Amino acid sequence: MIEVSTLTTVAFWGASAMTLGFALIVVTQRDVFRAAIALAGSFLGVGILYFVLSAEFVGVVQILVYVGAISSLMAFAVMFIQDVKAGSRPVQGRLVGAAVAVLILAAVAFTALNTDWSTMDEISDQVAGALTEGYVQVGTGDEIRIEKVGFTDPDEVVVPNGGVLVDSTSAIGVLLVREYVLAFEIIGLLLVAALIGGLLLIRDPKPEPEVVTGSEKREAPV
Amino acid sequence: MTIENVLLVSAVLFAIGAYGVVSRSSLITVIMSLELMFNGVVIAAVAFSRFTPSAALLSGDPLTGEAIRSALTGHAFAIFIISVAAGEAALAFALVFAMYRAGESIEITDASQMKN
Repeated sequence: MIEVSTLTTVAFWGASAMTLGFALIVVTQRDVFRAAIALAGSFLGVGILYFVLSAEFVGVVQILVYVGAISSLMAFAVMFIQDVKAGSRPVQGRLVGAAVAVLILAAVAFTALNTDWSTMDEISDQVAGALTEGYVQVGTGDEIRIEKVGFTDPDEVVVPNGGVLVDSTSAIGVLLVREYVLAFEIIGLLLVAALIGGLLLIRDPKPEPEVVTGSEKREAPV
Repeated sequence: MTIENVLLVSAVLFAIGAYGVVSRSSLITVIMSLELMFNGVVIAAVAFSRFTPSAALLSGDPLTGEAIRSALTGHAFAIFIISVAAGEAALAFALVFAMYRAGESIEITDASQMKN
């Protein structure tokens, strides 16, 4: 039987290759519609990456919002607007752009590889056990404490996967409406503002009033 | 799969997006590349959440609900970024559509004025 860590590694590199390959197609493809399809593939790869990183709620949100909504928005935008034959030409200064992108990549990669990251291995067994094997929240108000599901002996806690929340969805729900409730409400306001702004921008600026032409016709003989 | 690997993937995705933003002529492709950059950033946020423990978890104090949720801050960041990106994409396409109607062109070099 294949080990879980091997499967995780294979899934991680597969999803990474899918994401980056489709992303390369997006930025090199001349046909905008094909670029839009490749973009959906890239988003799907990112969604799989979230699942591999044990962020299943974010993964589901990614698939719903990006693969579902934004990709179809892109496709509709391409069909509405773009003359597909004209396509998306590469512009003149693209070598400078490539150089800038490589510099950004080098800077981030240097930082990532040269930083001594603290890891999940450093947390205590009890905490790791609660994180990896599920937990229940007991009590209300200031009396809240965490107890592991089926918790028996803190010394016997096994840490199988280096700190993976088994069920992060309910914890995220509490997080969003407790610690980040202001940001949560502001996001709602922002989406309404974006909706109204989009409608305002996209509406016909000059709704040709038929009344004017009618009155002109009437006045013409006079 | 270590945090360095995930951060490298995130950085490469961000760099590909950055290249796309400056190298394509069509505004639609530029917006697509912007979305790729957003995704690179979100991957980094989720990776930090997955691999690095928060200070509350390292302190060794008895576990509270707050400490558990502090491990998920990166997920909350990811959800907020995705929400903002969705609104941004809708507005950007409304702008592109308005520009197309005003000038029949969505070449980025033609986008020098907003007023028609």
